[in-house]
Amino acid sequence: MMDTLRLLGAITALEPRAKQKENTDRAAVEVPVDAFYSLMGRLKSDPQLAFDMLYTHTAVDWSAKGEGPGEFELVYQLYSMTHGHYLLVSTRIPRDNPVAPTVSPIWKIAEWQEREVYDMFGVLYENHRDLRRLFLEDGWNGFPLRKDYKDEFMLERPE
Amino acid sequence: MGMITEKLPGYIEPVPGGSVLLTSMDKLINWSRSNSLWPLTFGTSCCAIEIMMASGAARHDLARFGAEVTRPSPRQADLLVVAGTIVKRMAPRLRTLYEQMGEPRYVMATGSCAISGGPFIYNSYSTIRGADEILPVDVYVPGCPPRPEAFFYGILTLQKMIKLGETIRKPGVRKKPVLAALPPGVTLDQIQKEMAALLEKDAVINLDEANRLREEWANIKMAGNEGA
Ligand code: SF4
Repeated sequence: MMDTLRLLGAITALEPRAKQKENTDRAAVEVPVDAFYSLMGRLKSDPQLAFDMLYTHTAVDWSAKGEGPGEFELVYQLYSMTHGHYLLVSTRIPRDNPVAPTVSPIWKIAEWQEREVYDMFGVLYENHRDLRRLFLEDGWNGFPLRKDYKDEFMLERPE
Repeated sequence: MGMITEKLPGYIEPVPGGSVLLTSMDKLINWSRSNSLWPLTFGTSCCAIEIMMASGAARHDLARFGAEVTRPSPRQADLLVVAGTIVKRMAPRLRTLYEQMGEPRYVMATGSCAISGGPFIYNSYSTIRGADEILPVDVYVPGCPPRPEAFFYGILTLQKMIKLGETIRKPGVRKKPVLAALPPGVTLDQIQKEMAALLEKDAVINLDEANRLREEWANIKMAGNEGA
């Protein structure tokens, strides 16, 4: 098991563009999307790190009214069963062109998790084997966890 | 007088001029119905922990009110406790469960979610805004989640309602009991003052009094030792 500092050191050595996230209780890094996939691969294969489990993947909609299109932050929570350490990896993609590489070749479970994020946020995962809706009906319009989502069932909060 | 056949209480043969036995039968039936509610456990989220687990467990003990025989099957239940958020996809299933329950059946909506959609009333793509959009609800228990005590108050209310309510002559007609009437001669102001005094007393430790008590106890003990 590595403590947070050594873990972060090892990751910056692997990928110098990985930035440490502030105000977190566990090790957390943010990487640019073009360096993201290769870093994820090495996080799993490196015997020192050996992150063999992706236990959550979700997204955050960072957009505010009247402030341009905004971004999605994709959040991946990793755990190493070999060493018992945790890591949060995040990457940002533009909201108006939400394309990200799939990590399902690295962790098989990502297939389902990415389907859920696609279902709720409409993030498109390149090379995903089967990118269909998971929870909502196939004919659903729009992506309900986006901040600008609206439909006729919804009751809007009065100002 | 009415003739009661083996199909009690569904079928009563009318006999001209009788009512004494019927009313007594109503009372007896309603009494037994109200004291042997079998709830169907329909817990969809956090409220279920309070309503189904905490209320049923030893500390609060739902069995005191005769409603502890929770059933996982609607065919054996007569009280549907909606404990939790209901989403669009769940709604038709909930309705089906309700339809499958035998008459007479009662519905309790516990928690804000089951009453109105609660925390998810606005900007939700999936939450049904209250169980009464799909079911006729008899008793509402507010809270997020309601404490077991509140749930018991709901159960007692329902029992009251059953006892007052449905008769064999008019099945399906339920009377809502009067619940929150103050006893005569007591005002809300008095109750508030009393509560405030009680809280004040609970929150303050009187050191002099405590010391005096301790000395008193010590004296008693010493006196006891001397005697022995
Ligand atoms: S009312 Fe509150 S506690 Fe109950 S299900 Fe809804 S959110 Fe959970």
